[in-house]
Amino acid sequence: MSVEAREIDVEIGGRGLLRAVGLTARAGEVTAIVGPNGSGKTTLMRVLTGELRPDAGQVHLGGEPVGPEHAARMAQRRGVLPQASHLAFPFTVDEVVRIGLMSGLSAGDPALGARALAAVGLSGFGARRYQALSGGEQQRVQLARVLCQVWQPVRAGAANWLFLDEPVASLDIGHQLSIMQVARDYADGGGGVITVMHDLNLTAMFADRVLLLARGEVRAEGTPGEVLCDEVLSAAYGCRLRLNTPPVGAVPYLLPQAAGAGG
Amino acid sequence: MMRGRFTRRGALLGLTAAVIGLGAGLRAEAAAEAASDSERIVTLGGTATEIVYALGAGARLVARDTTSNYPPEALSLPDVGYVRALSAEGVLSMAPDLILAEEGAGPPEVVALLRAADVDYIELPEGFSRDMTVKRIEMVGAVLGREAEAEALAGEVLATLDAAAEAAKAQAGDAPKRVLFVLSAQGGRIMAGGDETAAKAVIELAGGVNAVSGFSGYKPLTDEAVSLARPDVILMMDRGGDHDMAAKELLALPAFQPTPAAESGAVIRMDGLRLLGFGPRVGAAVRDLNHALYGG
Amino acid sequence: MVAATENGMILNGLRQSRARRAHLWLGLLLLGSCLASLAIGASGTSLWQGVWRALSGAEISQMERVILWDIRAPRTGLGLLVGAGLAVSGTVMQGLFRNPLADPGIVGVSSGAAFGAVSAIVLGGLLPVGIATVFGQYLVPVAACLGSWAAVSLLYVVATRGGQTSVATMLLAGIALGALAAAGMGLLIYMADDQQLRDITFWQLGSLGGASWAKLGAVAPLLILSVAAALGLGRALNALSLGEATALHLGIPVQRIKRLAVLTVAVATGAAVAMTGVIGFIGIVVPHLLRLATGPDHGPLLINAALLGAALLLWADVIARVVIGPAELPIGIVTALIGAPVFLWILLRSRGVMGL
Repeated sequence: MSVEAREIDVEIGGRGLLRAVGLTARAGEVTAIVGPNGSGKTTLMRVLTGELRPDAGQVHLGGEPVGPEHAARMAQRRGVLPQASHLAFPFTVDEVVRIGLMSGLSAGDPALGARALAAVGLSGFGARRYQALSGGEQQRVQLARVLCQVWQPVRAGAANWLFLDEPVASLDIGHQLSIMQVARDYADGGGGVITVMHDLNLTAMFADRVLLLARGEVRAEGTPGEVLCDEVLSAAYGCRLRLNTPPVGAVPYLLPQAAGAGG
Repeated sequence: MMRGRFTRRGALLGLTAAVIGLGAGLRAEAAAEAASDSERIVTLGGTATEIVYALGAGARLVARDTTSNYPPEALSLPDVGYVRALSAEGVLSMAPDLILAEEGAGPPEVVALLRAADVDYIELPEGFSRDMTVKRIEMVGAVLGREAEAEALAGEVLATLDAAAEAAKAQAGDAPKRVLFVLSAQGGRIMAGGDETAAKAVIELAGGVNAVSGFSGYKPLTDEAVSLARPDVILMMDRGGDHDMAAKELLALPAFQPTPAAESGAVIRMDGLRLLGFGPRVGAAVRDLNHALYGG
Repeated sequence: MVAATENGMILNGLRQSRARRAHLWLGLLLLGSCLASLAIGASGTSLWQGVWRALSGAEISQMERVILWDIRAPRTGLGLLVGAGLAVSGTVMQGLFRNPLADPGIVGVSSGAAFGAVSAIVLGGLLPVGIATVFGQYLVPVAACLGSWAAVSLLYVVATRGGQTSVATMLLAGIALGALAAAGMGLLIYMADDQQLRDITFWQLGSLGGASWAKLGAVAPLLILSVAAALGLGRALNALSLGEATALHLGIPVQRIKRLAVLTVAVATGAAVAMTGVIGFIGIVVPHLLRLATGPDHGPLLINAALLGAALLLWADVIARVVIGPAELPIGIVTALIGAPVFLWILLRSRGVMGL
C-alpha cells in the first residue's frame, strides 16, 4: 500500500515547477514534504491528489492510477485538506463536516461528525456558522470534514490516505501539536498521511519520511534524521542553518518538542 | 434599460398600429351570423367603438379597450386593457354576448380563447381606404341589426370624404405638399410613417404626398434621411402631453434644420384615432388636414 | 464538552429537519396556490360550482368551461412550471458560480434567452421549410434555450478563473452580455415587420396571459426535465461551494457537473422566457429566503425552491390578473414590486454573512 510518484514534470506558462520529482509514501507512515517558498510543494500535492495532470510521469495510489477522471473512486480512498478554503454560502460547521461525511464510505454513521469535531478540538461548534469562525478554527473544521470522508485508516484491508497541505499553518502551538497528533494517530492506525509542512521542528517530531524540495527538484529524501542536517537545509533554504544549537545571547526560544515535557 | 426602451417603443408602435392596421384581410364574413339583438358588447379597438356609438348603439356596450377614447362617453366604460395585450378572462368577465374586435387584437392565444368561448366574436378587417371604411361600418351595422343606420352613416362618411378628397385634389394642383408623418421624436430620434401606412393614405387623401417612401410601416429614420425628405409640413399625433416636444423644439432638431417645414414652422397635430382610424370621422379628418395643409 | 457537542448536533439537526419539514409546508402552500389560481379571476366564475356541477353530471356552460379549463387551468400549469424553473435556475446558478448574486435575470442569461426568442420570431421565416416544420411550436423555446445557453457558457468562461468566480467580473460580464443581447434585439426589431413586432411586444412584457394547452405542451417537457435534472445536483453543488478542487477531491466529476448545471439553467430559463417573457427576481429572492429560513444545503434547498418559486409566481399572477381587472398587469411588474424590496432587505440583513 503506497503512493508512488515517478518522474513528475510540471510546466506552467513555460516555467518548470517540478522536474523529475519522485516520491514513495507508505501506509502507516507520515510523509512530510518540506522546502522553501515556491519550491513546488503545493504543486506536487496537486499532482499527488489527482487535481493537476503532470506533463510527464505517473502517480499511483494503492496501485491504481490517479487523475481527475477517477474522482469518485479516489474520494473513497483519500481525503484532501487544501491550504485555504473559501465557502460560498452560510453553512454551519456541522453542514460542512457532513459534506465530507456524505462523500466517503462512512455516511451511515451520523455520530461521526461529532467525533471528528472532537478530534480537532471543536466539540460544541457544530451549530456555529462556519464563516463566523476564526481562520484557525475554519482550518480545523476543514480537517474534520476530511477526517469524516476517510474516517477509518484501514478499510477492508486497504489503507486510506490523508493529504494535508500545511495543516497547521494558521494554528497556535497547542493546536499545531494536537492536529499533528491526529495525523500521527491516523498513520499509526495503518493509514497513510502525506503532508506539506512549513515547520521543520514539527516535521522532525511527527514525520517518518521527509522529502525536501527546492526549485522544483528533490534535494533529499529519507528519515528526518537523514534529511534535516545543516548542509542540506542550508543549501535548500539559501541561508546558513545549524541544528540543535541554542541561540547566542539571551533571546528566548521555544521548541514544540519541549511542549508537555515536565508539565 | 434596454428593456424599458424597447418596450416603450414597442408599445408606441403597437398603439398606433392598433389604430391604423396593416394589410386588408377580408375574412370576417361571419358578421351575418351574429345575433342582432346582442345586449352586452365589448369592443376591442378605437374605430370599432366609434362605429358602435355612431350607429346609436353605445348603450349596449359594457366594456372597451384602452385605445377607445372617442366619444368621451366611452371613457366611462370599464377598460379591458391594451388591444394587443388583452386578458382572456378579463374580457370574458364582462359577460359579453358579442365581441367586436379589430383585426390586430391580440395576443393570438387570447383571441383563440375568446373565439372558443360561448360568445360571438366578430373581427373587423383592417385597411385604410374608402371602401374598407364603408365595409367596417356595414359589418357593424349588420351585426347590430342596424343596417339602415349603417347605410346612412356610410353614405354620410363617404360624402364628406369624397368632397374633402375632391377639394383637396383641386387645391393641391400640380405641386402637392410633402408631408412627413412623425410617430414619435423621442430623444431626437424620428420615427416616421412609410409605405402601407394609414398615415400615408390619409396624407394622400388630403392632397399631400408622403415625404418618405421605400420602407413599409413605421421606422426610425436617420437625420440625413429626414433632411433629404425635404418635408414641407410635419404631421404628428396630438397626445396632448408633455411627452411631446413643442413644435419649436422639434423643428430645432438638426435633422429638420434644412427642411422647408422648419423654415415655415409648419407642424400639424391631430388626434391619432380621428386621423388614422379610418372610422366615421375620417372624412372630417381629411378635410381638416387639407385645410391645415393649404389653408381653408 | 460532550453535552455541548450534543447540543450542537441537536441545533443543527433542527435546521435539517426544518428544511425537510418545509417540503411539506411549501407543498401545501403550492397546492393552495394552485387552487387559488384556478379559483380567482376577473370573471368571478366559481371553481367549486364548476367542479361540483361537472362531478354531479349537471350541465356546465361553455363559458364556464372555457374560463376554468381553457384559461385558468393551462395558466396555472404554466405558472407552476415557470415559477419552479426560474427559482431552480437561480439556485443552480448561485451554486455553480458560488455566488448568491448570480441570477439569470441579473447577469444577462434571460437577455440571451430573449435574444434567442426574438431571433426565432423575426428570422424563423427564413429557415428552410423542412427545419421550421420539424421544430414547429418548439422553434421559439429552443431558440431561447440556445440563447441562454450561450450566455451562461460565455459568462462562466469570462467570470471564472481557477475555479473561483469574481463577483465584480461576473456582474460586469453580465452587463456586457445584456448590452450585447439588447443590441442584437435592436437590430432584429429594425428588421421585423409589423406583425412580428406585435408578437415581440406582447412577449417582452412578461405575462402568463397567453397561456394555452398548446403553449404548455411546448414547454412542459423542457421545464420538467431541467427541474428534475437540477434536483439531482444537490450534493454536487454543496461540494462545489467549497471550491472546484475540493469538490473534485470529494469525488464530484466537476467538469461534467458544471456542464450539466449550465445546461439545466439554460434550458429552464430559455423555456420560461420563451413562453412568458422576462420575469425577474423569482430566481434570486426564492433561494435567498429559503437559505435564511432553512440553511444553504442544496439538497432540500432545490426542492424547496421549486415549490416556493411555483407558489410565488402563481400568487404574483393572481395579483396581476385581478388588481386592475378586467385589464391585466404584466406579471414582471408584480414580481419586481414584490421581489426588489425583499432582495434589498435581504442584502441589508445579511451583508456580513454572504461575504459581499
